Amino acid sequence: MSLLTPISLALWSYIAIAAAALAVGAYIIKMRRRRFEVPFSKLWQRVMEQKDASALWKQLRRMLSLLLILLVLGLILFAALDPTLGATDRRARSVVVLLDASASMKATDGKPDAKASKASGAKASDAAGAEERDAETRLAHAQRRAKELIDSLGGGDLAMIIQVDGQATPLSRFSGDGPMLKKVIDGVTASDTPADLPRALGAAADALRDRQNPLIVLISDGAFPEAQLGLASFTAPTSGAAPDQAPAAPAAGATRWSDKNLATVDLSGIDVRYLPVGQRSDNAGIIAFNVRRYVANKAAYEVFIELQNFGSDPAQRRLTLYNGATAVDVRELTLAPGQRHREIYRELPGGEDNRLRATLRPVDGGTTDPFPLDDEAFALLPARKKQKVLLVTEDNLYLEGAVMVYDNIEPAKVTPAEYDANPAIAADFSVVIFDEHTPAQVPPPPAHLLYFHPDKDRSPVRVTGVIERPRITELDETHPVMRWVGLSDVNFDKSAVFAADRDRGEAVLASSVRQAIAVAKRDGGRKIVVFGFSLPAPGRQDATDLPLRVAFPLLLVNSLDYFAGDEVDLLTTYATGRRERVLLDGVQGSGEVQVTGPDGKRSTAPVLDGQATFYASRVGFHELTTTGAEPLRLELAANLASPGESDIAPASKLTLGGQALAAPEPFTVSRSRKLWIYFVLLAALLIGLEWITYHRRVTV
Amino acid sequence: MSPAPAAAVALPASVPGLGCPVVTAAAPSRDNRAKDRSRLFDERFLKTLEHLHMVARKVFSGNLRAERRTRKVGSGIEFADHRTYARGDDFRYIDWNLYGRLDRLLLRLFEEEEDLHIYILVDVSDSMSIGTPPKLHYAMQVGAALSYVGLANLDRVAIIPFSDRLLGRLPPSRGKNRIFRVFDFLRTCELGGQTQLAECMKAFVAQNKRRGLAVLISDFYDPDGFEQGLNTLRYNRFEPFVLQVYDQREASPDLHGDLTLVDCETGDAREVTVSKSLLEAYRREHDRYCAELEQFCTARATPFFRTHTGIPFDELVLKIFRAGGFLR
Repeated sequence: MSLLTPISLALWSYIAIAAAALAVGAYIIKMRRRRFEVPFSKLWQRVMEQKDASALWKQLRRMLSLLLILLVLGLILFAALDPTLGATDRRARSVVVLLDASASMKATDGKPDAKASKASGAKASDAAGAEERDAETRLAHAQRRAKELIDSLGGGDLAMIIQVDGQATPLSRFSGDGPMLKKVIDGVTASDTPADLPRALGAAADALRDRQNPLIVLISDGAFPEAQLGLASFTAPTSGAAPDQAPAAPAAGATRWSDKNLATVDLSGIDVRYLPVGQRSDNAGIIAFNVRRYVANKAAYEVFIELQNFGSDPAQRRLTLYNGATAVDVRELTLAPGQRHREIYRELPGGEDNRLRATLRPVDGGTTDPFPLDDEAFALLPARKKQKVLLVTEDNLYLEGAVMVYDNIEPAKVTPAEYDANPAIAADFSVVIFDEHTPAQVPPPPAHLLYFHPDKDRSPVRVTGVIERPRITELDETHPVMRWVGLSDVNFDKSAVFAADRDRGEAVLASSVRQAIAVAKRDGGRKIVVFGFSLPAPGRQDATDLPLRVAFPLLLVNSLDYFAGDEVDLLTTYATGRRERVLLDGVQGSGEVQVTGPDGKRSTAPVLDGQATFYASRVGFHELTTTGAEPLRLELAANLASPGESDIAPASKLTLGGQALAAPEPFTVSRSRKLWIYFVLLAALLIGLEWITYHRRVTV
Repeated sequence: MSPAPAAAVALPASVPGLGCPVVTAAAPSRDNRAKDRSRLFDERFLKTLEHLHMVARKVFSGNLRAERRTRKVGSGIEFADHRTYARGDDFRYIDWNLYGRLDRLLLRLFEEEEDLHIYILVDVSDSMSIGTPPKLHYAMQVGAALSYVGLANLDRVAIIPFSDRLLGRLPPSRGKNRIFRVFDFLRTCELGGQTQLAECMKAFVAQNKRRGLAVLISDFYDPDGFEQGLNTLRYNRFEPFVLQVYDQREASPDLHGDLTLVDCETGDAREVTVSKSLLEAYRREHDRYCAELEQFCTARATPFFRTHTGIPFDELVLKIFRAGGFLR
């Protein structure tokens, strides 16, 4: 007999002593007696005098009751030690079931006998049943196999279920409770992410550490990238291993420690088995889908779609592109076996909806696609915002001309005198450009402000001085305003020098020997860009040749795009199963955002330095909502976008770390038998006996 | 007069009751239940009494009014005995025939016929308050019934409640119409105290010089014993008539477990773990105690009746009549 308790015997003995002490104490402590009034206690006195002769027997009976209770306690404590009959059964195994719940497990290729029934010419009445079997997903098949595995567990075997998708999620602890494990298996749903096998193997290896007869059973379609399969290593098992233990990895295949990659999962001493599921491989799907607006013409956009036929037969498909609910384009394609095909839709006019959807459907209605998940892809058109821009300037041909070339804005112009007379004139504008004029009253947020040569006293960024003939020596090319802008050969007569305070969100855009002459800042809900130099205009002595350079209209467009939050490198389409950093425009510091998935489920994502960590487990449109008084909403699209996952061809054999994985043998029913239940039953019986004897006055 | 033989009443445990006050399980506390005597003597009780009287007259027809003879020797007409003449005796009662034959002066004695005095001594101690219904109520009903029959026979009936002392006294009276005074007295008399039979009987004989029938209704739960009290009556030429009343649940209590038993009179507490065998021993002890009392009375030719409160009081009274000793 062996004891399987995880608690040390020393601690257990303390618990036993304490419990026994409590029981003895309970017998020593006198119970509060019920008072009963009698008419003539002399009679009782006489009786008691007679009974005193048998007091010893009475005490003995109470002692019997105490001994009975101590026996019950002992039985319960011993039962808690989890005794098993026949010493430790060497055949008892610790099994980790890795249940693949990645996107490819959504493929519907039916049960293994589905094809056989079709081939044997099943009657029409059987057609419905066959279709039903066809409709079974790989995951459902895998769940059946997993439950069969659980059914074959022996009495001493313990199993743990880990769900494998983009993450490795342990769903249970090691348990021999078959119904509970089956319930856990039934609760698994496939996600829309590729599988991360090394992560799952690592979790399983960690869980199996120091356990006897460790076994990993991978139930999957085997659609893993080769790179993942190579991230595992086996070493030869010890010579004293039981014959029914894991098949030893060939010595030649063993990896020396020095050769190991840090990312390699060490599976030494662990028997890894593979249960394949899935049959069909004739999938054609969308493996890339993205969209972008043209930089010059943001009213139009360009769409990129990449398709691949993973089957061995040509596939005829109809590719439809939707903008919202409206079909923008429909094309019929024939994809040769293994062909990867790219489609680019140029100069598409901007629709009212920014949601784009691409579907790939079989042309022949009779054929079905076994993997519908990659037959649909989603993308979001970056928001197009037409800004109303107010120029506060005297006649400045350079500035007005540069602004007018940008067709994403609606410009208007007032003179500084007109503005000062009525500052409310700027109320309806989203951007106000002050040229050589710094008013006392500026429009309230969210109007963005752009200054050229602001007044020293009224400048939004503190002016520390003036620099003569500055040369741009440092440029922050990472800032959206300065992207693709070169100012190294631009001449300036004079420029104000700013003292940018990073703590207040002021960023230096351009400097002349560490003297900032262009600064961008955030001021609450709006953005401000300040240039220290003057633009050439009639009547101005200090000027620059910047308006004569290509950089000038680019600088203006960049600034206006920066104000609009319409940054070219903002991605709106992501792949599922990956953690991505998403820039939240206008969000500073840390916190969290609420993510609403395409299925309506809500979760939270952390925000660090204004960037949210986004993980999509479902294909479709997601919405990120910041918390706070003025919540920011950002829509993102997520696609499977994984050729490896779309290649649903099942692998009947899997080679992991250079070792071919065998199918698990039927489990041997262990000889080990749990005894705790019998001890608990005996204890319950004794408690009942004690109760009866107490109330029958036998042990009182 | 020859005393009636002692007889222990062995009645069935459950007899349809007449006039037994119903006390429910949810009744108030023992003291309050015992003190509430307002419904003891209701109209139904009166009808029962009248029925008893009728039965008594029928069963014992031929008895004359006030013809119960006392042991007093006096001026009656029925010869009783002779005694030696003493100076001062009335010459008229000298038996001259005997003088002629024996040459001795002997005086003829006659049994004097006079009204019988019946003293109903009711134990009202705390122990009598126990039971369902309380033994006290039962005792008072029996006492009232006997009083009624006595009054109807033109005997002089007195009621004397007692516990550790005599708690008042209803003076002897006769006539049926006096029964209401008996009721009122029993309703209002003082209750409570420990049972001290010997002291009470000593006081009783000291206060009542007219001998007569002393009907003693009690549970006889006297820690000092019942013997001395009964002997006091006997030695003072009273005719004791013993009625022991008990409650079935005190004879056979339904107890179990660890208890503190408190004597309702003395307050003595005793911790007891009641088991089945202990209960059995108690029952035996109770029976033994009752048997001791019965044996004591029987050995001294004292009429003795034992009853529990489950027997209707009128049946008990009829039993008493049939057994004799109270009426003839």
